[in-house]
Amino acid sequence: MILIKDLLVKIKDFTLNISHLEIRNGEYFVILGPSGVGKTVLLHTLMGFIKPVNGTIIVNGVDVSNLPPERRNFALIPQDFALFPHMNVFDNIAYGLRVRKVPEDEIRRRVLRIMSILEIDHLSDRRPDQLSGGEKQRVALARALVINPHVLLLDEPLANLDPRLRIKARSFIKRLHKELCFTAIHVTHNIVEALDLGERIGYMMNGKLIFVASPEEFLRTKHARYYINELKPLLKFIVD
Amino acid sequence: MLRRVDFLILLLSIISTVGISFIVLPIIALFLLVDPDILVRSFLKEPSLFMEARHAFITTIEASLLSTILLLFLGIPLAYILARMDFPFKSLIEGIIDIPLMIPHTIAGIMILCAYGRRGLLKGLMNTLNISIEDAFLGIVLVMMFVSFPLIVDTIKVGIMAVDPMLEMVARGLGATRFRAFITITLPLSYRSILAGAILAWARALSEVGAILVVAYFPKTANILTLEWLNVYGLKYAVAISIPLVLLALSLFIALRLLVRAK
Repeated sequence: MILIKDLLVKIKDFTLNISHLEIRNGEYFVILGPSGVGKTVLLHTLMGFIKPVNGTIIVNGVDVSNLPPERRNFALIPQDFALFPHMNVFDNIAYGLRVRKVPEDEIRRRVLRIMSILEIDHLSDRRPDQLSGGEKQRVALARALVINPHVLLLDEPLANLDPRLRIKARSFIKRLHKELCFTAIHVTHNIVEALDLGERIGYMMNGKLIFVASPEEFLRTKHARYYINELKPLLKFIVD
Repeated sequence: MLRRVDFLILLLSIISTVGISFIVLPIIALFLLVDPDILVRSFLKEPSLFMEARHAFITTIEASLLSTILLLFLGIPLAYILARMDFPFKSLIEGIIDIPLMIPHTIAGIMILCAYGRRGLLKGLMNTLNISIEDAFLGIVLVMMFVSFPLIVDTIKVGIMAVDPMLEMVARGLGATRFRAFITITLPLSYRSILAGAILAWARALSEVGAILVVAYFPKTANILTLEWLNVYGLKYAVAISIPLVLLALSLFIALRLLVRAK
């Protein structure tokens, strides 16, 4: 379980304040909120790139608040996937294992296994600039999952995909999560993404976590209504 | 309208041709003025002249290479800090790094004497270590490092800034320390800038004469010897000794252009 307690982050005029948040092992947790409310700041604080003024982050009973990023075992998938451009797909995925000095034959076994699960076996020798958006996303997922992280932090991972691919990627992530049961914190400003993927949704506004709810409960809140009202004219246009 | 544009392009082309000719003409002139007889006499028939020239070239190449290697050790960490971190007085430090670009070369030499010379600020330390920079190989290396410092740091800094910091962040999330992320991600992705910085610094070191003249006339570098031969034997001898230096500088320039094109 990941427990975030009394987290306070200050960056110039911006303040992030999360008093209490618990995420269960194996849960797919989505943080939803408009741009600029501090979703990425929260992820970077969890990763250890931003030092909080106050607060603790506890993972399975261990306080990781003062550990450097490399010792937290949290894997980050940024919006543009940040694949290492000078390495092929295999070496990208193997990076975390090589850093951990895993024997080379075991690296090969684990990388091939995750590539097969993510259906990217055929991309092994390709460079990131030879991949499509969807393929890049799968490689980034493979690279993060192969190290068995405590938690996968996904920062708007579908934002750079075209709408058709986004639907495909959502169902792929859902299937993958069902299969591997990893713990994920996924931040997005897209309500469809949040409702489709999230087992629970945390709603953020102005640097604060306003509430945590199931997708069904979230739909009954005024915040969901705001998103739905925004979509209504578009739906009418489609029906017409 | 079309005719006016054509006239403008014609005018700009003429001005540009004058500008390019201004640079190219002295290079061509140098090669045209080479007297083969003097070239043979200075480098083959008179052993003393040949030995003097050979020694000066070896000193120049050794000192410039050593200064470039030392600058890489000093420059890469500094460039990384400047590219990646924000801290108080950062702009001031960036300004200080660029000072050697603005200072007249002879004054740069005097400044080095004031700091590291026999009567300089660090005279106690230099005397204790029994190190002297006046008329010494070390003095030449220090001068070359001083004048090349901004070129190498600024070029590498720009290269590191062009590497997406998110790549390092992802690497650290995957378990790499900051140092390992630098070695495995940032360094390979910015190696062209590092190489370009090193070539620029080396070329700058090769071309230095004013500050070296002040700090260390001996052992003579190729530039000092050129100046000396110009004064003692005249222009034709100076031309003869200039040719190898120009060829070396031009080959460095071509290497740099190829590197930039490869980018």
